[in-house]
Amino acid sequence: MIHPVAWLAWVSAMLVTLSMTRNPLYLGLILVWIAFVTIAIRPLASATSPIPISPVRFALVVVTLSTVFNGITVHVGRTVLFRLPGFLPILGGIITLEALAFGFLNGVVLSGIFAAFTVLNRVLPIQAIVRLIPQAFYPVAVVVSIAVSFVPATLHQFQQIRQAQAVRGHRVRGLRDWLPLIVPLLVGGLERALQLAEAMTARGFASTDTQRANSVQAQGTIIAGLILLLGGWLLRLMWGQALLGLTVLLTGVGLIGGTVWLAGRQVPRTVYRPQPWARNDWSVVLGAGVTAMTFLFSWPGLDRSSIFYYPYPTLVWPGFHPILAVATLGLLVPGLLLLRQRNDTIGRVLRRMVAERA
Amino acid sequence: MKKEQLLSIVIYTLTTLIGAVAFLYPFWQPALPQTNIMGQAHANDAALILTLLVGICFVVLLLEVQGQSISTKLIALLGILVSINTILRFAEVATPTPGGLSPIFFLIVLTGYVYGSRVGFLMGALTLFVSALITGTVGPWLPYQMFTAGWVGMSAPLCRPTVWLLKGEGKWFEVAVLAIFGAFWGLVYGIIMNIWFWPFATGPTSQYWEPGITLVETLERYAVFYLATSLIWDAMRSVGNIIFILAFGLPTLRALRRFHKRFTFDYQPIYEPLPPISIKETV
Repeated sequence: MIHPVAWLAWVSAMLVTLSMTRNPLYLGLILVWIAFVTIAIRPLASATSPIPISPVRFALVVVTLSTVFNGITVHVGRTVLFRLPGFLPILGGIITLEALAFGFLNGVVLSGIFAAFTVLNRVLPIQAIVRLIPQAFYPVAVVVSIAVSFVPATLHQFQQIRQAQAVRGHRVRGLRDWLPLIVPLLVGGLERALQLAEAMTARGFASTDTQRANSVQAQGTIIAGLILLLGGWLLRLMWGQALLGLTVLLTGVGLIGGTVWLAGRQVPRTVYRPQPWARNDWSVVLGAGVTAMTFLFSWPGLDRSSIFYYPYPTLVWPGFHPILAVATLGLLVPGLLLLRQRNDTIGRVLRRMVAERA
Repeated sequence: MKKEQLLSIVIYTLTTLIGAVAFLYPFWQPALPQTNIMGQAHANDAALILTLLVGICFVVLLLEVQGQSISTKLIALLGILVSINTILRFAEVATPTPGGLSPIFFLIVLTGYVYGSRVGFLMGALTLFVSALITGTVGPWLPYQMFTAGWVGMSAPLCRPTVWLLKGEGKWFEVAVLAIFGAFWGLVYGIIMNIWFWPFATGPTSQYWEPGITLVETLERYAVFYLATSLIWDAMRSVGNIIFILAFGLPTLRALRRFHKRFTFDYQPIYEPLPPISIKETV
């Protein structure tokens, strides 16, 4: 098992890498790694969240739409395929291979992000995600826990209401016929909320006079952090001060993060089933970190220009740097670890079977 | 006005301002000067920084909203209402509805309207979060969805002055005002939500290779994109909100109001010092 925080690091690195590049060679590699991890997590994924849309179906729709839309609205590029009549507003003009290629690459990026998050959705149970909510947001975490726990009970209540109304001869034919089902569900839910609140109070929840998480000092720090955040971003974008802007922006993030951390420290938290942080988790974080850092920052001796591939004005073969390609391997770590774990288990079972037969 | 309240207002204003600026960055970013590889790099990482900014604004807003001594009753109320709304979202995912029609917004709007901005914000944001957990749709779009749905609930009390002014409380007029409000957000929710991926779809190309592009041109491009890909989808959401609010609005409002007093009722024990007892009395 890989720790939820390590999965979070993996998906963040995936998000960073996919957002940074439009180079089809790197994008292709990353998609292959996602497919590999998806195959590796299959045995883990069966018991967790359902997948509403298959990533392959999503990719087919999004890539097609993105290619066509970019192709017919962006009339830039030198390889002209055909021309749409000029009287068509926005759509009229040349249709170029470059615009189609760029639309295709954008679709691939979106599909990759979707596929990476599908892995996260499949591999992490709901409790693990709720546990990731920072301590400072304990009331929110409690609300989320209540909501998640009460979903089956609410569904059960809905079934009961439906049966009770059916016994009275109620049939759902139109929208208004849902009213005798929705209103009792709502009223029953609110009654249950009152009972729950009383039970929580009786058990001592919120019985202590906890300090306001946002004291005047904390509020002041957050305001300073927000101003720095905005200032850093504007410095970066409007005045081209990349380094200074990033420093100011990160200072703002640090101030806000520190305040949230301090607010969290006021809340005692106990964990009944701690999930230990193992060596494998370090490997996942390290792999993700190496990939993200290589794509995000400039490094001496490393030419990163191939990351920023654009097919305009003439479609050319994308550049390729072996070090950048090797760096993407960091995203493969969870898949490799899970496969090794699976092989170990299979090997152990086989050995036991052989031993038993002998 | 207390110092804390004043600071709260500043925080709400700043987060909303940064959120709006971040959401709208594709509209004003094209006008910015960009150069060669640096410009391309910024075009690429702008989307990342946008996600960071929206995420942080959301975290700050959440901290501020929940920091105002959230009571047990409020926690239980939100938990149950979010649970009911999650089931509605689950039904929406399980049986696909036409376009963006979704039954979740009517409860967010009505809850925000009756229980106020704080509860409305939490109801909107947490409905999207919990339903994403249940339906397995956690993704980079989630902070944007939570933020925007939070805004829907947070802004619902803005309907109150109109209703009070025309003395329409508890009447059809009140439901009609809320239905118009729901219709408005049905479209605006889609317009805002498109922006998280719009720069991926069209932004950098047109921005970088047509340096003379103006705000009007960007708006024109977005309008075309919106008309081509989203208008029908969002119109269905808008119509859905009207239908749900008109069909269920009045009895739901009645039920929520009935419980409002029970949930907001609180008592403060007053500890009066006992009168001094003289030694004579005890003897």
